[in-house]
Amino acid sequence: MADDIVFELLHSEIINYALDQSKDNTNDKKEVDLSVVEYIGFAAGYKIMERLTREWPRFKDELDTMKFICTDFWTCIYKKQIDNLRTNHQGVYVLQDNAFRFLTNFSNGHQYLEFAPRYVAYTCGLIRGGLANLCINSVVTAEVQSMPSCKFHIHVQRT
Amino acid sequence: MAVCVAVIGKDNSPLYIGGIGNDTSTDNELSRQWLVHTALDALEERLASTNTNNTGANTTAARTDLRDLYLGLLYSTDTHKIYGYVTNTRIKLVLVTSSTSPSGSNIRDAEVRTALRRLHALYADAICNPFHLPGDQITSLKFDKQVKTIMLNNV
Repeated sequence: MADDIVFELLHSEIINYALDQSKDNTNDKKEVDLSVVEYIGFAAGYKIMERLTREWPRFKDELDTMKFICTDFWTCIYKKQIDNLRTNHQGVYVLQDNAFRFLTNFSNGHQYLEFAPRYVAYTCGLIRGGLANLCINSVVTAEVQSMPSCKFHIHVQRT
Repeated sequence: MAVCVAVIGKDNSPLYIGGIGNDTSTDNELSRQWLVHTALDALEERLASTNTNNTGANTTAARTDLRDLYLGLLYSTDTHKIYGYVTNTRIKLVLVTSSTSPSGSNIRDAEVRTALRRLHALYADAICNPFHLPGDQITSLKFDKQVKTIMLNNV
């Protein structure tokens, strides 16, 4: 669909831009600064959440909120649901997507594995922003082991 | 007729307070803030009861009711009635109507509900303004104008 590809291309251009910027600022070749991309995701997630939850009844608890992230939130952005949700019931959630959309265009092997973290930073921010607007402070990290599948770890910060 | 509408943030800081009537007097502005803040305690109370009343026979009915975003009449004084609405993102919307004026004394609940729903839609639009930072006061003139229209037309 045409509207999907616009989002995908814009996303990859934003990453390219952020990489260019960080190349100027740091001398270290290995380190790339993706905090800008993560923040863009945060702002977007925060705003989307206000709209998405408009017609919803109030969430019962944290798990209810996570289920919402896995189903409706993910469907709204990536046109599919999260394939697997796991939790230790102590504030750690693992969301697994077996065919993460930003990674499906790459080869399935290990060819581009080192670049994968760039393509998940935005989504980490998106989840964090969405949860922040629902009053759940969290740290979101991602893990890519083999190419199109991706795991998002959510650590809820309790005060 | 609605006399005042307020948007209160997650940490109970006012994001927007708008009213109609003689806008110029500062006394009026002060009384508005006062009215809105009297409702906040009642609002918190209702929200808290959603989480604690998980056992018991009659709570199932109460809980389905409390999962609704619209909380209904929170507080009424001799001159005003205060209605509340809390979004999933803990933004509190408060609407104050006058109970003394002839048109305000017989407002139906459904009317207030639709007005608050529309206010929520407007708030979501205002949040999507890229110049707006989360937690900031809403300074958008467009939002202000649309809210005033709701106040004049609906309730």
